[in-house]
Amino acid sequence: MTQIPEGKPVPEITEQTRPFWTGAKNRKLMMQKCKRCGTLNFLPKPWCVECADRALEWVEVKPTGSVYSYTVAYVVMMNFPAWKNDLPLVMGIIDLDDGARMYGQVTGCSPEEVYIGMRVAAYFEDIGSDAAIPKFRPA
Amino acid sequence: MRGKVAIVGVGRTPYSRAKQGERIYTIDEYLAWAAELALAHAGLSKNDFDGQGLGVAHAEASHTVNWAAAVAEMLGISPRVLLRADQGGASAAAMLVRAAAMINAGIVDRVLVMGADTPLTIPSVAPGLPLSPERTRGLFWDFQGPFGVMGANSQFALVQTRYMHQYPIKPEHLGKIAVTTRYHASLNPAAIYRTPFTMEEYLNSRMLSYPVRLLDCVPMVDGGLAYIVTSAHTARSLTEKPVYLLGFGEVSNYYHGSRTRPDITFTGFVQAAPEAFAMAGVTHQNIDVFEPYDDYPMVVLIQMEDYGFCKKGEGAQFVEEHDLKFNGDFPISTDGGQLSGGQPGGAIGGFMPIVEAVTQLRGEAGERQVEAAAVAAVSGFGGMTYARNNRSCVTAILGSEA
Ligand SMILES: [Zn+2]
Repeated sequence: MTQIPEGKPVPEITEQTRPFWTGAKNRKLMMQKCKRCGTLNFLPKPWCVECADRALEWVEVKPTGSVYSYTVAYVVMMNFPAWKNDLPLVMGIIDLDDGARMYGQVTGCSPEEVYIGMRVAAYFEDIGSDAAIPKFRPA
Repeated sequence: MRGKVAIVGVGRTPYSRAKQGERIYTIDEYLAWAAELALAHAGLSKNDFDGQGLGVAHAEASHTVNWAAAVAEMLGISPRVLLRADQGGASAAAMLVRAAAMINAGIVDRVLVMGADTPLTIPSVAPGLPLSPERTRGLFWDFQGPFGVMGANSQFALVQTRYMHQYPIKPEHLGKIAVTTRYHASLNPAAIYRTPFTMEEYLNSRMLSYPVRLLDCVPMVDGGLAYIVTSAHTARSLTEKPVYLLGFGEVSNYYHGSRTRPDITFTGFVQAAPEAFAMAGVTHQNIDVFEPYDDYPMVVLIQMEDYGFCKKGEGAQFVEEHDLKFNGDFPISTDGGQLSGGQPGGAIGGFMPIVEAVTQLRGEAGERQVEAAAVAAVSGFGGMTYARNNRSCVTAILGSEA
């Protein structure tokens, strides 16, 4: 019943989400843009949350933004035990310059150096054979 | 709908941290146990719910099809109407609203509403991490787990960091909420953590997810709760102390500001609470006891603001200026809250504000009784969203007079 997973979680890739993961693998931050109203939808959506148009187009967005909020995890909670090797771990809400909001780890500086409004840029780390994950560091 | 239905019985089982050597109960056993307590409190039997309503909150332990109907089968009840709430910590309050509508429409006269969960004994990806299979699959998980999001601790911490950025607040303000609720737990034999702690101990408690400390975090427990709601007419024939539903408000997927980048320091209570106050015909001064959704002190303070007890951003000052104890001028979380009482899974803690408010309004709270408590405000708060405002907010105003 209880089977401790090895490593960190990897996504189950579906056709709906594949462009994001493949894009990250190719070092591009891809998101769905609504053809009708121009809204960037993230995380992936089945239609535009603003106007309900199902014609969402995957586009590359600028990998830069600002820290909207952040937390520093000192213990692993509600996630896979392998994260313990990364503690303390800074995870933030990043508001991208192109208008979307996403979660992302903030690395490349100490937890004490992170602040709201800090400028960051995405970089990518492979997870599994088909996907990579964007993380952020000071820009 | 004001005063048309009333709660006539509540039940709360003992909670368990599922320690080695303890008898471990299943979710089914907790449901029956909670129902038994509520039925006894109301002076009703399970047969009184044949042809009536049965409400069951979603639980992570209950991975089966037709869950609410399966519960009816298990308990030997043949209801006309099944309610099945899937709104996390707002489930209990949401079912109160649904039940009230059903009763008011004449479809049923009474509804037995219950919830239980056993987060400490469900299948989990790792021992000690209550991470059920339903949390670790699907799009929502795929865009959080691999990104390093550590569940509710992370999500509430993100709200708190942002709050601290926008408004004046010190750790001591949240500490006062935590210390006070623990004091209330010390007066409540049903609470799981009952040893009082000091402000210093709060401030020195280990940081789990900055800025959230150990003593800011809700402990998971196994347990179950239930309540019985019926028409005001039937209620008066059953008890001298019906607790009337005076008003309610509700919103799900509330956004404060832009839909894509809302201000996460707000909750849907800015919409739900005024609706509830208006329906009840009461003002903030009429609230004798406030039972917020209280799994983290930050969300308690935000509710004080979003209910309008004070202005946005002045919650810390409000906490400083008021005595939050049961015998103070602004009593909150009088059962010890979820913070010290325990949370029976992510969805079932929402029964606690209702059960405690009913206990207070009936004058049955013993050592922690709020003097002359006649009107209470209770919250249901369920589900964290992806970096936005939370999923469901329900406010109910309860009173001992219709
Ligand atoms: Zn659109």
